[in-house]
Amino acid sequence: MKTAPAPGTGTDNTTAALTVTDVTVRFAGLTALDGVSFTVEPGSVHAVIGPNGAGKSTCFNVLSGVYRASAGTVHLGTTELTGLAPHTIAGLGVARTFQNLALPPHATVADSLLLGRHRLTRSGFIATGLRLPSAAREEKRHLDRVREIAEFIGLEKALERPAGSLPYGQQKLVELGRALCMEPRVLLLDEPIAGMTADERRRTASVVANVRDSLGISIVLVEHDMGVVMRLADAVTVLDFGRRIAGGTPAEVQNDPAVVQAYLGAPE
Amino acid sequence: MSDTTAEAAPLVTTAPAPGGAESFTDRLRRPRTYAVLIASVLLLALPFYLDRFWLQAGLFAMAAAIGAIGLNMLTGATGQLSMGHAFFLAVGAYSYCILAGESSTENGHALTGLGLPTWLAAILAVLLAGAAGGVFSPIAGRLRGAYLGIATLALIFIGQHILFNAGSLTGGYNGRAVPPLSLFGFTFDDTEVVVAAVPFGSSEKLWYVGLVALLLAALFARGVLRGRPGRAMNAIRDHRIAAGVMGVPVARYRAGVFVLSSMYAGLAGVLLALVFQRTVPEYFGMILSLEYLAMIVIGGLGSVAGAVVGAFFVSLLPQVLTHYSDSLPLVSAPGTGGLAPGEASRYLYGAAVVAVVLFLPGGLARLGIALPRVTRPKKSGEK
Repeated sequence: MKTAPAPGTGTDNTTAALTVTDVTVRFAGLTALDGVSFTVEPGSVHAVIGPNGAGKSTCFNVLSGVYRASAGTVHLGTTELTGLAPHTIAGLGVARTFQNLALPPHATVADSLLLGRHRLTRSGFIATGLRLPSAAREEKRHLDRVREIAEFIGLEKALERPAGSLPYGQQKLVELGRALCMEPRVLLLDEPIAGMTADERRRTASVVANVRDSLGISIVLVEHDMGVVMRLADAVTVLDFGRRIAGGTPAEVQNDPAVVQAYLGAPE
Repeated sequence: MSDTTAEAAPLVTTAPAPGGAESFTDRLRRPRTYAVLIASVLLLALPFYLDRFWLQAGLFAMAAAIGAIGLNMLTGATGQLSMGHAFFLAVGAYSYCILAGESSTENGHALTGLGLPTWLAAILAVLLAGAAGGVFSPIAGRLRGAYLGIATLALIFIGQHILFNAGSLTGGYNGRAVPPLSLFGFTFDDTEVVVAAVPFGSSEKLWYVGLVALLLAALFARGVLRGRPGRAMNAIRDHRIAAGVMGVPVARYRAGVFVLSSMYAGLAGVLLALVFQRTVPEYFGMILSLEYLAMIVIGGLGSVAGAVVGAFFVSLLPQVLTHYSDSLPLVSAPGTGGLAPGEASRYLYGAAVVAVVLFLPGGLARLGIALPRVTRPKKSGEK
């Protein structure tokens, strides 16, 4: 299997733990998250699972700064993320994918991946408008890296195609690739293999495992496919109705009566 | 075209870019190169053949194209609606008059003028339009899409109020005369210069100023749209939340694009003023803003070519109808009752907007681009 390409120089790739402490999110009377705490160890895959409506996506939105927590804190290493704008959090090295695709359909795959390089590039209106050589050099350098990442996720042949023309599973791969293009320290994957064919599932799962093993990126994974969760995850947090009801290694969680009850309902 | 498609296939692979010499011969083989060449020769030669009416119409379209490119970056590429484009056109046009004009008395108004060199006044007018956009940008950064459109409506009303009432600056209802541009001692006014047995008046001379301004404005915008800012702008338009999560400072980008688009409007305003030779406040009203929106919708949202095509369509249509009103059915000469050319053209481009939205979502520019698009994969080899 291909190994993940090492990131270019100039990126801060020191790993740090992502610590979620007592996070509560309320929307006008509805408590979507209620005092949730967990820690993502550096370089591990941490799965967040739970039935529909458990608060998994809300949790992601808090981590990436899209929602603001009503109470509680999120730290990356020693930096507090709570209250920061999404682009600032992205600038600290937190990348995410979306449950429903968030790709511009007409842009080429290469352009979509280059968008992931936004935080690592500098060219502004004046440099690109006047076509300064610095902008052209920067674009070329990052395009090289984009090609490497495209190869890594198996999409090097699709670089010039509009993202919207690819099959659904491959579009999800493009999103994963775009997040990888940010050279993140923490990668948040929201149902990365939902809607994929068996072949694409295998490939995505191996990409995820490879990212952790060779790049040492911490990964937070929301996924319904328990087989994949159990295979990939080092630790699991289980949410139900916004509360953390269990946590631990995959094996521990699988046998936890509270988890079984949340998924299958209470015994009569 | 067949050879270009055949060549496109191997270039999709990540082969290193061929040397500059090869890409030059490649370019020679492309029919597009010749189309561009012929078009530029035609454009350069037009002042020798066309009369003043058509040159003015063409200049008017060039100015509109510059303004439309700016609006297309804001509305088409970033998804931020603006109804206030006419305001920034007015800022550009009037700033030029005030900065370049001499203090004088006109129609009972004592007009203030700074008497700066006209080229400097033109540049400062563009910067002032940008500054006016900058003043509004805290609002432009925070509001999205249609909400910004509603907020910018206010600019039109504020602008009209100022234009009619700040008499010592704007000349009030009657407007004020526009000092002719002069560059390196050459004045673009109505003193006739005979070039190759053709008398050159202001329209002929300004034609080249307009061409250069439009070309530079278009190239700059294309660079922005195809580069890093363009990708960020499209991301804000398509998936605002995702754009933020990808590291794009959404509010700052919205504000930046708003300022840039105001500067384009300012440049368009300066050029319009030079062509009209008189600025009048009525012109910079809501209808003008709507016309610019019609241009980018008809031409094609989000692209430079779309803005240019749309601007020429919308601004030349009334002129064409006026010119040929005798020979067209249903359209009568202005002032004779019946359907005036101005009205007829408004109906026509109203219909064009509906037709484009229904049948041609990419705009008129899509029709022209459909062919050259085949050669697009080659770009990967050039990079």
